[in-house]
Amino acid sequence: MAKRLKLALAIVAGLAVGAGSAAWSMKRGGLSGAGAGGWYGNSVTGSVDADPWTRARVALTGLLALNKSQAIYFTTNVDAAGARLREDCRYQVAGAALPAQWWSVTVYADDDYLPLNDDDALSFDATEVKPDAAGKWTALVAPKPAGEGAWASSRKAGEYSLTLRLYQPARSAQDDFAAIPLPTVTRLDCGGAA
Amino acid sequence: MNAGLKYALAFALAAGVGHVATILAAPRAIMDVALGKLSNDGAAINRFVFGNRVTQQSRNVVRPSPDLAYASCVYDLSRGPLLVTAAPSPDNGYVSLSVFDARTDNIAVFDTGQFPQGIRFVLAREGQAVPAGEPVVRANYDTGVILDRRLAPTAELFAAADKARRADSCAPL
Repeated sequence: MAKRLKLALAIVAGLAVGAGSAAWSMKRGGLSGAGAGGWYGNSVTGSVDADPWTRARVALTGLLALNKSQAIYFTTNVDAAGARLREDCRYQVAGAALPAQWWSVTVYADDDYLPLNDDDALSFDATEVKPDAAGKWTALVAPKPAGEGAWASSRKAGEYSLTLRLYQPARSAQDDFAAIPLPTVTRLDCGGAA
Repeated sequence: MNAGLKYALAFALAAGVGHVATILAAPRAIMDVALGKLSNDGAAINRFVFGNRVTQQSRNVVRPSPDLAYASCVYDLSRGPLLVTAAPSPDNGYVSLSVFDARTDNIAVFDTGQFPQGIRFVLAREGQAVPAGEPVVRANYDTGVILDRRLAPTAELFAAADKARRADSCAPL
């Protein structure tokens, strides 16, 4: 009897650990795919060709994502130095012309929803940045705006992530995610040091 | 086989089964919850529901874009195919209709870049009779959701997109 009980306990514990590791994999283990500077994106997101782990991760953290023919998604939760993005820091996001009809960068809190602030600045997009003659642009992600430039608010975001959406991407971008010139996210200062 | 090894093997096997079963079951379970929310607990099936402008309070689906206007039609093909249409937005603003199945896969997507006069297609299960001459999307499951996304990064653009999308239709043939 004791042996059967021990066996049952081993099985129940195994099932629980297996389910827990799956949950971890869906929430935290999918940080792979093409990208650079902390950004990650998966070319089979939303696709019928997605493997079960990618499908489960997308279901949990990006349900109803489009396939790459219509939109390409990149997400980062770290800055260019690899440090976690934090609400109390200010970051400069700098990029070049992106191969899409339209793009945006949005702040998401760790629960994968928009941060609970009422700043009406949850993202910035291609129409808000002011590219120079070479097509280069910058924007600020911080709890407060500074000056006239594009800004997305991180107030009440805690430790957060940024998602870059490229809508109606160029064929070359669909075929080679690694060739997309992803923006860099550089920490300016933290704790109101500005 | 000694008892310790037997328990360790049982634990490892069960862990593998638990992991794979959770990974395989999660998309459908998560989609079921989302379909319930988007259809007002099943009250709105085979018709579009027009979402309000996305704000920090939007909680139906993870990672909503605050720059887009969303409308959704939770579908059930068990009684037959649907005819789905979407009107263009003013000034040829971005509009797409995307079809997701119960397993969360994006099985089809159309946009007004391809169809500037508006989007129109039939959604049907394999084997269901469909009218000739219409584009047809075949689904592997009875249920899922069609999403209308429109570019609407400001309140003014949202109002214009909202007015245009009221002509959308998602109804049995």
